[in-house]
Amino acid sequence: MTDALLSGHELHKTYGATPALAGAEFTIGAGEIVAIMGPSGSGKSTLLHCLAGIVRPDSGTIRYDGGDLTAMSDARRSALRRSDFGFVFQFGQLVPELTCLENVALPLRLNAVKRREAESKAREWMERLEVADLAGQRPGEISGGQGQRIAVARALVIRPRVVFADEPTGALDSLNGERVMKLLIEAARTTKAAVVLVTHEARIAAYSDREIVVRDGRSRDMARAA
Amino acid sequence: MNVFRDLRMGAGFAVTGGREGWTRTLLTAIGVGLGVALLLLTTAIPGALGARDDRGRGRDELSGRAQQAAENTLLIATIDTTYKGDDIRGRALRAEGPRAPVPPGLSRLPAPGEMMVSPALADLLASKRGALLKERLPYRTAGKIADRGLIGPDDLTFYLGSDALTGDSNTAVRVTAFGNDFPAEKLDPRLLLLVVVMFVVLLMPVAVLIATAVRFGGDRRDRRLAALRLVGADARTTRWIAAGEALAGSLFGLVLGLGFFLIGRQLTGAAAAFDLSIFPGDLDPSVPLVVLVVLAVPAAAVAVTLFALRSVVIEPLGVVRTGTPARRRVWWRLLLPVVGVALLFPLIRRGADAGEFNRFQVIGGTVLLLLGVTALLPWLVEAMVARLGAGRVSWQLAVRRLQLGSGAAARSVNGIAVAVAGAIALQMLFMGIEKDYVRDTGQDTARAQMSVSSSGSIGSDRVTEITDGIRRTKGVRSAFGHSGTRIGDRGDNPAEGATLTIGTCDALRELARIERCADGDAFIIEASGSSDRVVGEMRPTPGRQVVIDPAYGMIEGAAPSRTPWRIPAAAPTVPGRADAHGTRYDGVLATPGAVPAAARKLTYWMDVQIDPTVPDARDLVRNAAARVDPLSTVYDLSRTQESRRFANVRTALFIGTAVVLLLIGASLLVTMLEQLRERRKLLSVLVAFGTRRSTLSWSVLYQTAVPVALGLVLAAGTGMGLGAALLGMVGRPFTVDWTGMASMIGIGAGVVLLVTALSLPPLWRLMRPDGLRTE
Repeated sequence: MTDALLSGHELHKTYGATPALAGAEFTIGAGEIVAIMGPSGSGKSTLLHCLAGIVRPDSGTIRYDGGDLTAMSDARRSALRRSDFGFVFQFGQLVPELTCLENVALPLRLNAVKRREAESKAREWMERLEVADLAGQRPGEISGGQGQRIAVARALVIRPRVVFADEPTGALDSLNGERVMKLLIEAARTTKAAVVLVTHEARIAAYSDREIVVRDGRSRDMARAA
Repeated sequence: MNVFRDLRMGAGFAVTGGREGWTRTLLTAIGVGLGVALLLLTTAIPGALGARDDRGRGRDELSGRAQQAAENTLLIATIDTTYKGDDIRGRALRAEGPRAPVPPGLSRLPAPGEMMVSPALADLLASKRGALLKERLPYRTAGKIADRGLIGPDDLTFYLGSDALTGDSNTAVRVTAFGNDFPAEKLDPRLLLLVVVMFVVLLMPVAVLIATAVRFGGDRRDRRLAALRLVGADARTTRWIAAGEALAGSLFGLVLGLGFFLIGRQLTGAAAAFDLSIFPGDLDPSVPLVVLVVLAVPAAAVAVTLFALRSVVIEPLGVVRTGTPARRRVWWRLLLPVVGVALLFPLIRRGADAGEFNRFQVIGGTVLLLLGVTALLPWLVEAMVARLGAGRVSWQLAVRRLQLGSGAAARSVNGIAVAVAGAIALQMLFMGIEKDYVRDTGQDTARAQMSVSSSGSIGSDRVTEITDGIRRTKGVRSAFGHSGTRIGDRGDNPAEGATLTIGTCDALRELARIERCADGDAFIIEASGSSDRVVGEMRPTPGRQVVIDPAYGMIEGAAPSRTPWRIPAAAPTVPGRADAHGTRYDGVLATPGAVPAAARKLTYWMDVQIDPTVPDARDLVRNAAARVDPLSTVYDLSRTQESRRFANVRTALFIGTAVVLLLIGASLLVTMLEQLRERRKLLSVLVAFGTRRSTLSWSVLYQTAVPVALGLVLAAGTGMGLGAALLGMVGRPFTVDWTGMASMIGIGAGVVLLVTALSLPPLWRLMRPDGLRTE
């Protein structure tokens, strides 16, 4: 494993009376692909949210690129997510009123990139993910698999250093799921982005370099045999 | 019947859908309830005003007048007063026999020195605020006036027993009964037009509000109905089930509306707002109207739901709004205002001579014009947002959302647009006819701010005494008292005589340009072409023999008490000047020494200049006047005088518009919160991307502001059109009340800002990452 780009240490998080994380540990190096696995309700999504700076853990530290993510203000973490992180969720979560092209361009526009330039870059990524013909369509007019590929393009358009993918194929059939995963991994390798992949499917986790299993809020690193 | 089964099933879903189902039903019920309550309250107002008017007429002393004292006669003098801006009705009473009539609301007549007061006046007198009034009315309170003797709960009224009233006094009238036999004054057709249009304008948005309320939670409900399709329900069944849910919400709304109405009724009784207090019992909507509301509201709920679902296909796997909705057609939308104008057009110029209007035609025309706004707005919003380009991210998000479906936004804004259009038209009508109801009094409030007068005949020495008493009062800068009557050659027909005004030299200088003056002097005012006081045929000249007749015209049947008088031969002619009332005097001015003492028992009036820096100066003057002459009348001078009825209509418009706009604002807020709740997950995702709060906040603002701005533009156009038609009807030229229009548009825009501001905290709450959690 290379030097850690993002790491979490002794992470605790409770929702009401329900503990979601109870001392979880995590590290990922630049360009590495790590799968977080575990059964439903084990805390894997919470771990991803903490690592991405979306949720602040109750205790523990998260370090990103040498800085303490847990000590950063909400505004600083938001700025980091805009510039360094990309996200893919289970149902794509595209903005329904925007066209696919506008959806892909959205993270760039949030980073104050001019519309023309943002849409030009978005178009490039849509071509790479083989969905360029959907540019003018709205999310309601495309299939689930196409939507996930648009979501992947949206996650990668800012050339993030880390992509967080939370059950990215959870809503797709196996064929579409495989296709999305291949495109995601290929694109991530090309851009040297690290990928934090939350999944409960072993065949999806197989795309990763390393697996971490979360159970009852605790993590266990399962180094993949070479 | 399958339809009834489906409706019943839908109604069941309304109450068994868990917390979310309950919330949706409750929101609908509250929206419908507020609308129903407003409908009932508004429609009960005419009856309430009628009841007020009836009780007011019942206590008048205009019927049963008598000439001679008898065992069933009562002397009544008006001793109204004003305290801290509130009018107080006062009557001094003296029974002339054992069967003297008792005013409504009293069980007996007050004995001399005691008074019967209304509960509101009793409270005021007992309060710290009423301390100065207590000084003015230092009498023993012997009882309270019952409701049937009062026009409203805040009516400030008292009856004072007095043994000072005399039958030959100018101040008292003699009656054998209370009441008013004169036919009630009919409302001026122009005011009637105003009231009719006002009701339409205020009730239309309420109808729109009800229609919007029954669609609360519609999107979410439609999605849930897809599950029913999955288990075999056909499309028609699901529509009726949806209608059943809306029906249940509207029925709960009816019950809530009744509750809100009863609460509102009690509050109306408790509130003294806007000079219009009403007994709760007077707010009694007519039974046919209640039946109409009870039947129409649920029927409308079903109809609106079925109509709204016509473009929705509920499939077993989800809800599909007809992908590319058919472009809205404009022709039938334009038809509504065109027919409205066609109905109003024949009425133009009918009111120029205060003629009657066909009320149904006015209502029909106005309703169609305003319905035109609700029909045109969705088309206008759709057509305009389709042309809007993408700008900043917040703008892009808002515009794209509107482009995807602007119907809901236009529906929410319809209420505001109708209310603003109607209010603009009414403002224009108000401005057009305002001059007819606001009279320039000609009073010079720089010279005097108050006037004290009495119809009682008193001597000029007493006038001087009263004037001095007022002048010494704290807060009084100056006071000039005059008394006067008519003089004539014979006294048979004083209309053919001239005016005689008596006062000290200082007081007379207020009425004419007099240089040298001493007691015993008299002056003849230069005859002027334009005079407010009719001089008649007689032109006074120095040394002319005349008679002074103070009893003229004041007391019916009173014996004349004429006093011969020769106008002093040395009386110079002086130029006259208008007094503080704007009255320019003619005739003769005389100091007390120039008039025989026997003829000096005359009515008087006094102009008082007060020091505005002294707190309660006006009430101190009133107290002083009550002390030195309890039967005097004190009133404030004012440059303009507004018709009370006109003022009441204007007040009602302000209250109504404010209430309606607040209700619509509440409905807008509910719609916005519902939209936000539906987008909870998406908002969380946007937060995950690092979207700034401000970006989404601006997006929410734009999303509301764009349709509202378009609605206001349409409302301004329609309002001006309707205003022009209404002005045409009363024969007034087209004038736009820009201030009124700006204020109405400002209020509409204010509602948008308020709604946006109120939806920000929930937006920020929804922007928390919790929405991303799926487990």
